[in-house]
Amino acid sequence: MEKKKSKANQHDYESLHELFKPHIESFDYLVDSGIETLLSNIHPVEIHDSITGRTLKNILSKAFHSSHCFDLLILIGFISVLRPSELLFMVLMLMFVFLQCRQAGISYEGKFMLEVFLKNDDALLPSISEQSNLTYLPFSLHTSLCHLRDCDPSHLLRQKEEATEMGGYFIVNGLEKLVRLLIMQKRNHPMSVIRPNFRERQEGFTDKAIMIRCVRDDQSSVSNRLYYLQNGSARFGFWIRGKEYLLPVGIVLKALIDTNDLEIDASLTCSYSEEYQGRKGAVATQLVGERVRIILDEVRDLSLSTHLQCLQHIGEYFKPVMDGLENKNHSDVGTSVLRDYIFVHLQKNDEKFNLLIFMLQKLFALVDHTAAPDNMDALQNQEVLLPGHLVAIYLKEKLQEWLFKARRTLKEELQKNGKKFDFLSVVHIKKVLDKNPSKNVGMAIENMLKTGRIVTQSGIDLQQSGGMTVAAERLNFLRFISHFRSVHRGAAFAGQRNTSVRKLLPEAWGFLCPVHTPDGEPCGLLNHMASTCRITSFFDSQGNVKDFFKIRLSILNILAGIGMTPSLPKLVRAGPPLVLSVLLDGCVVGSISSDIAEKAVSHLRKLKLFPSSGIPEDLEVGYVPLSFGGAYPGLYLFTSPSRFLRPVRNISVSSNGPRDIELIGPFEQAYMEIRCPDGGNGGRRDGFPATHEEIHPTGMLSVVANLTPFSDHNQSPRNMYQCQMAKQTMAFSSQALRFRADQKLYHLQTPQSPIVRTAAYSKYHIDEFPTGTNAIVAVLAYTGYDMEDAMILNKSAVERGMFHGTIYQVETIDLEDQKELSDQAQSLFARSNIETYSSIDVDGLPYVGQMLHPDEQYYSVHNTVNNSTKTFKLKGSEPVVVDYVAVDGGTKQKHPQKANNRSLQYVNIRFRRPRNPIIGDKFSSRHGQKGVCSQLWPDIDMPFSGVTGIRPDLIINPHAFPSRMTIGMLLESIAAKGGSLSGKFVDATPFPGALNKAGEESSDSRVDELGPLLASYGFNYHGLEVLYSGVLGTELTCEIFIGPVYYQRLRHMVSDKFQVRSTGRVDQVTRQPIKGRKRGGGIRFGEMERDAMLAHGAAYLLHDRLHTCSDHHIADVCSLCGSILTATIMQPLKKAVREIGGLPPGSTPKKITCHACKTSKGMETVAMPYVFKYLAAELAAMNVKMTLHLGNGAEALIECRLSN
Amino acid sequence: MDSQPEPVSYICGDCGMENTLKPGDVIQCRECGYRILYKKRTRRIVQYEAR
Repeated sequence: MEKKKSKANQHDYESLHELFKPHIESFDYLVDSGIETLLSNIHPVEIHDSITGRTLKNILSKAFHSSHCFDLLILIGFISVLRPSELLFMVLMLMFVFLQCRQAGISYEGKFMLEVFLKNDDALLPSISEQSNLTYLPFSLHTSLCHLRDCDPSHLLRQKEEATEMGGYFIVNGLEKLVRLLIMQKRNHPMSVIRPNFRERQEGFTDKAIMIRCVRDDQSSVSNRLYYLQNGSARFGFWIRGKEYLLPVGIVLKALIDTNDLEIDASLTCSYSEEYQGRKGAVATQLVGERVRIILDEVRDLSLSTHLQCLQHIGEYFKPVMDGLENKNHSDVGTSVLRDYIFVHLQKNDEKFNLLIFMLQKLFALVDHTAAPDNMDALQNQEVLLPGHLVAIYLKEKLQEWLFKARRTLKEELQKNGKKFDFLSVVHIKKVLDKNPSKNVGMAIENMLKTGRIVTQSGIDLQQSGGMTVAAERLNFLRFISHFRSVHRGAAFAGQRNTSVRKLLPEAWGFLCPVHTPDGEPCGLLNHMASTCRITSFFDSQGNVKDFFKIRLSILNILAGIGMTPSLPKLVRAGPPLVLSVLLDGCVVGSISSDIAEKAVSHLRKLKLFPSSGIPEDLEVGYVPLSFGGAYPGLYLFTSPSRFLRPVRNISVSSNGPRDIELIGPFEQAYMEIRCPDGGNGGRRDGFPATHEEIHPTGMLSVVANLTPFSDHNQSPRNMYQCQMAKQTMAFSSQALRFRADQKLYHLQTPQSPIVRTAAYSKYHIDEFPTGTNAIVAVLAYTGYDMEDAMILNKSAVERGMFHGTIYQVETIDLEDQKELSDQAQSLFARSNIETYSSIDVDGLPYVGQMLHPDEQYYSVHNTVNNSTKTFKLKGSEPVVVDYVAVDGGTKQKHPQKANNRSLQYVNIRFRRPRNPIIGDKFSSRHGQKGVCSQLWPDIDMPFSGVTGIRPDLIINPHAFPSRMTIGMLLESIAAKGGSLSGKFVDATPFPGALNKAGEESSDSRVDELGPLLASYGFNYHGLEVLYSGVLGTELTCEIFIGPVYYQRLRHMVSDKFQVRSTGRVDQVTRQPIKGRKRGGGIRFGEMERDAMLAHGAAYLLHDRLHTCSDHHIADVCSLCGSILTATIMQPLKKAVREIGGLPPGSTPKKITCHACKTSKGMETVAMPYVFKYLAAELAAMNVKMTLHLGNGAEALIECRLSN
Repeated sequence: MDSQPEPVSYICGDCGMENTLKPGDVIQCRECGYRILYKKRTRRIVQYEAR
């Protein structure tokens, strides 16, 4: 694929596109080469016909090509490689424009066509490739197959999209969904772990193990573990279909290569040397020799000695669980177990053997306490699961499932009518295959994106099966960005009581934002990437797909040039502290003398900066130095995708400029010396001079956290609150507002650009979607309406348009969906012309621009069969304005030919709810200072400045400051005042002093930078002003702090929340008021409220709440038998008709009798809660009779008795 | 349902052409064949609350 960037305008929003790269690049890789690799990794399927002795077999490969045209464009599949004996998958593309997808509630997807090639013994059958074999695959926006790829902003606008549209999400059924980034264990890196629950695995296990997550080229992974046993041996564990299998490590060692006991002993014990015992970095101990003997004895006890015997042993053991290998011999099965489940990231068995030896050494070091365990919760040992990779894994899984199912159906067919079934007949095979439609594959992917759930048998080595996707809400721009920058730790940790995973660890510095995490339940689990953090991908900086083989080869050449001893064919016979193992992407490539390791590392780092060197710029050089009982030493190199990455300046190279920016990962960062350019040395000791330098400290903050002005002057939790509130702000939501069909959209009518802003504000073009208003804020206690975080808004300021907002709500009405399956009737939007309507147009839809009130009819549906018309009323309690009515003539169908005859059946009606500020709406500054509007105070009664006459837009209470210590807000006020006087925007980027070079002293506080500007305009240096009471006209006794502060309007509004009720709907069974705001229910007056009432002795009020206002009922009770259920109303036999004087017939007194006593003598009326009567009925159903003994005072009694 | 159904005006979501459709007509722009049409704003007097 060519990645031609149109030069013009493309760079306008480059910084924004950069933020979304992980989502887009991973999906690009999938369509680019990912499908090809995954198809080559799918197991072939073989069917043997015992009658004819023929075998039907296939191996997968694929061909893929694409070309573009407009709108409903078709990209035609093209076969590039055609090997015989292949099942070919071909890909066809068909696309809808997004706007259409959103409006019509369909998915943005492309045709994915399967071409099935079958091999019959040796003859290649013609392919089965017809329309029936295609499936639809959802697409991520802006990826290489998307029609908006590389469009410039003006083109995007013409397409009715956002000019800044960054893509990276899917449109599934009209909803925008994105795949969550999930934290995974770092791939291909053995890690030592201590977990108590390892002991429970089997008898004799300890809590120590080495874990490695091996990832294949196609991104599917298999985890391997090496457990340490109490007797000194080790067990190799791996999962097949959710079940863990354990093998003695000796068998695996011997099965991998043709080796002997002596060699195994030598390669394991070589790292121990008496000479170095107790020295720094010596990890092996004398005990290793003992353990090797035990390992080898275990194999001997099973009477296995040769390579072949071990392989056959494994094969015999695993034959029942391996699929499709029923007819193979044991050693073949054993080989495929080694290939498919053991160290799958490595191809050669020699490499696997070497890695296993390395892991054993690391395990023994962990056991002997010569090396520390690795922290799995630290970012150092983590990477991220990218959307494209998830789809790749899932697609592979589903294709494999489909293939197995195809085999099953073919086999069944073979059994049923074996004679008739002809292997050579393509038509026949196709007919059988059609029973298992390949459509399901695409449906499964779409379902995964829709629901976020993964349905799989094998588990595909993922920690969670749900919550993979979230909806990309466009509440405001910051929330939208944050979705794409968020990284989740995994659903498995959310329910855990242990909070250690939530800890902010120093390893995450610069990669995950310490400020931007929600408080409460997901705190520390849902993190956001720092603004400069990137993720490695399959593409290099030029946009070409990386050739990992070539990259590894050139790294190996360079390492060999520096002085590394290559490991192949056999491991070097030495270990730390003399030499260090070198691992490249989880493969032991050799060893390097520990003396020259440091030099080699700095050489590699230099080469990283030069693209021509053959060393990729994102190479991670994890050099773990020798230490006493620290992390296991070695040189670990990573080239793999989906690692975290961030830029720092390499100060060991002299050149200044873009050449000295090095990309580093979290693994290597822990062992690097990085200083901050603030002149100080960060407490570093002299022996460890800094080799790298931070570019700017704001790089550690996320995009949203970076927008808080003067955040370095705020107490840190306030900055966290601001990050939350920024994402709940009602803002300028979308520039393509006219064309959007989101379910709910909040929009701020009169946004402003903040006077005080940080560098990130302009960098990320937040001005395209401003989030608030510069309000003149007076900090003062006035009128008493500003207590406890309440705030007073100036009524006139609000009427001039401040904080005016609207909610857009789309109602989708699809008559096709509403009709029942058996119903042949066709419904259409139309109104009946017999009745008259005030608000329904002739087409049965509301007038555009018209105001609708609750319970007003606004659309009507005509049934063509029974010729009836039904009208529908507006729900809710607010008046709405009809914003647009979009009618859709059948884009909903995937097959356009079917859609031809759709008339007026599918509409989107968008309502606009005016939401101007009222009492009870929530506002906040950018410093975690939220408040609720308590009054819209008349302008004339507002305090005014003695000099300028200015009245505040907003008054907050001074008590909001002392305990919260949001000095940033005070600074913002002073800075904005100065800025508005001088007519300039003020820079409020945090940590401005960080770039001061050593020696250059900046003694001034921020106030001393801002104060003189105010003073030069004749204002008070500290932002105070003399105010006069608006009511009395007298001077206020103290000077008031007043100035402009950028205020945000939060989306929580009273109109959505208030809940009042006097009388209303009641529950059918209990006759108590129902719950739920939507249904007009009440708020529960619960037990604790009852307790409070009792404690106050407010018995009358209690009776009123719980009885009179609830289920008050007057029951008829028979005092003779004491039952409340036996009362029956006797209808008088003859209606007493009074014919006198035209009077209405008087109501005859109802006669109530007891059904059991057959008399009305003892009937009394008793007031009681209706549920009590219900309880009696329930008890009666359980054969318990409840009797009431009526009386005044103490003799009254309720009795329950089991009746016979 | 019968007596001379008045046509309603719609605007094409793609080319902006004005289409007048009668009940039962296929929803499609006559100019470009686009299938999403937006209803025209009403000519009736609408009154909003100006507070």
